[in-house]
Amino acid sequence: MRPLFLNLALALLAMVLFLVSLAVGPAELGLVEGMRGLLAGGGEAATIIMREIRLPRALLGLSIGFTLGMAGAVLQGFLRNPLAEPGIIGVSAMAAFGAVAVFYSGLAGSSLYALPAGALLGALAAVLILMALAARSGSTLTLILAGVALSSLAGALTALALNLSPNPFASYEIVFWLLGSLKDRSMEHVVLAMPLMAGGWLLVALSARAIDALSLGEEAAASLGVHMARTRFLIVAGTALGVGAATAVAGTIGFVGLVVPHLVRPLTSRMPSRLILPAGLGGAALLLAADVAARLVLAAGELNVGVLTALIGAPFFLWLVVRSRREVF
Amino acid sequence: MRKRRRKSRNGFLRSALCAAAALLLSPVHAEPPARVMSLNLCTDVLAMPLAAPGQLVSVSFLARDPALSPLHVEAETYPVNHGRAEEVFLARPDLVLTGTYTLHNTTQLLKRLDMQVAEFSFVQTLDTIPDDIRRMGALLGRERQAEAMAADFEAQLAGIEARRCARRPTALAYEQNGVAVGEGTLAHSVLAAAGFRNLAAERGISGMAPFPLELVVSERPDVIIIPSGESEGPALGARVPRHRALRALPETRIGAFVPPGTWSCGGPAVLDAVKALDALRQEIAPCGEAP
Repeated sequence: MRPLFLNLALALLAMVLFLVSLAVGPAELGLVEGMRGLLAGGGEAATIIMREIRLPRALLGLSIGFTLGMAGAVLQGFLRNPLAEPGIIGVSAMAAFGAVAVFYSGLAGSSLYALPAGALLGALAAVLILMALAARSGSTLTLILAGVALSSLAGALTALALNLSPNPFASYEIVFWLLGSLKDRSMEHVVLAMPLMAGGWLLVALSARAIDALSLGEEAAASLGVHMARTRFLIVAGTALGVGAATAVAGTIGFVGLVVPHLVRPLTSRMPSRLILPAGLGGAALLLAADVAARLVLAAGELNVGVLTALIGAPFFLWLVVRSRREVF
Repeated sequence: MRKRRRKSRNGFLRSALCAAAALLLSPVHAEPPARVMSLNLCTDVLAMPLAAPGQLVSVSFLARDPALSPLHVEAETYPVNHGRAEEVFLARPDLVLTGTYTLHNTTQLLKRLDMQVAEFSFVQTLDTIPDDIRRMGALLGRERQAEAMAADFEAQLAGIEARRCARRPTALAYEQNGVAVGEGTLAHSVLAAAGFRNLAAERGISGMAPFPLELVVSERPDVIIIPSGESEGPALGARVPRHRALRALPETRIGAFVPPGTWSCGGPAVLDAVKALDALRQEIAPCGEAP
């Protein structure tokens, strides 16, 4: 499929789901009425609901989905590992732990800025650990197993930090951090996370050309003139920035970065760099769709969106493992 | 934590039973218990003002928490317990005061160890409080003081309730994570006594249940009462009642309004919550003017 056509089709899909996301909520507010409220301004209930509740939620679904899809594509290309994904290799879980450790300790008062600060540190630590491991052992399996260990450790530490909080409500928030949600987010969260995620997109985009060369192996890439240290820095920083900021405001949302690159890869020329943008757009569409479903499945209340992405992603992961065992090992 | 104390709704039956129990118990206890231990915040706030000097040997650790306990200053003068059976067993009190819902295992264990345990139900409303005061008085051998306190409570409450009029603004008690307090709760009876309509109860919520932000915005309550809770560590759930969407409602008053801890437990201090909300109601919807 022509890259331009693929990207346009996926962007259109994401836009449609963005509008659907704006139209769904407990207040009986149709798309037309909602749009009028969104554009009108003033103190009308429709305007407040659209601008302060649904718009931030849809914007976060779009940008976090984009970040996760793109991060999955980059990690799979860079690590040459079809199972790599921020959720599975522990980057999201470490980001969540970082956010929890800084926020709930009260080090920064109850300031929201504590969340991305901690999450970026956590994500950075995870990416560095995994890169070091990947450099020492080329095995697909080692990296995934290390990621599993890192995820469980970060999950346990997250639970510990929440239980140590003096606030009795903190321990209920473990579900949010482990399974993610876009419920009751506000524009404050958008302002907090969006610029950081955009920075991550930029860094990853700058590394795109080098990732193509890297698909031939590190030595071949170096002989083609790829600056390895610079590429590694761009990918580490870009992934940590994007996934860290996404996790800081939405918790751990797994499997988006795993499923989407595999779904769109057959439609591309299979060059890793050509996959990054479609994977981001597809990730945005998938997360928006999952977030709409999370609001509709239960009559009262809503599901954590990570439950839905795992329901789609975990069987897919299993299928990939079985298939890759046949092909690779 | 509040959530746990307000679960069921058969308050009338329970208060009748409590009164009967108090009548039955009082003649038996000719000798008042010399050493009493209270394991629950809600028994703490009833026992502290009633007990004779030295009679109450310890209160729960929550009694010292300024965010939860209206008597946190008084509680500093008592030793505290953490409601564990071992502590009670070592202290060997003549009477243990506790709640029917919290710490249920401890209660069973203490009864098996032949301790005298008095359980108070914490599905309280303003109507059940005078009888709870009288029952506590009977248990502690302080009937006279309790009767005076209960009568004063009833008189003050009746005085405030008499000030209500046809103008009844809507209020929403909006807690952590967007949970609203509905029918059959202490907060509901306080709102009613102060002349407010409880929006959550009118939308069919009984006990405590989630109330989506979007619906709060479209219902536009006149007042949203949010937890003050700044003394505790940070939690994300505390941000929901402070969401920007609520602050964007132009005519809605948002604040804690109720003095900390006064409506978490049904003791005499609940009157401070009623008074504070009554003052707020008179300010935003004075009775003299036409609606």
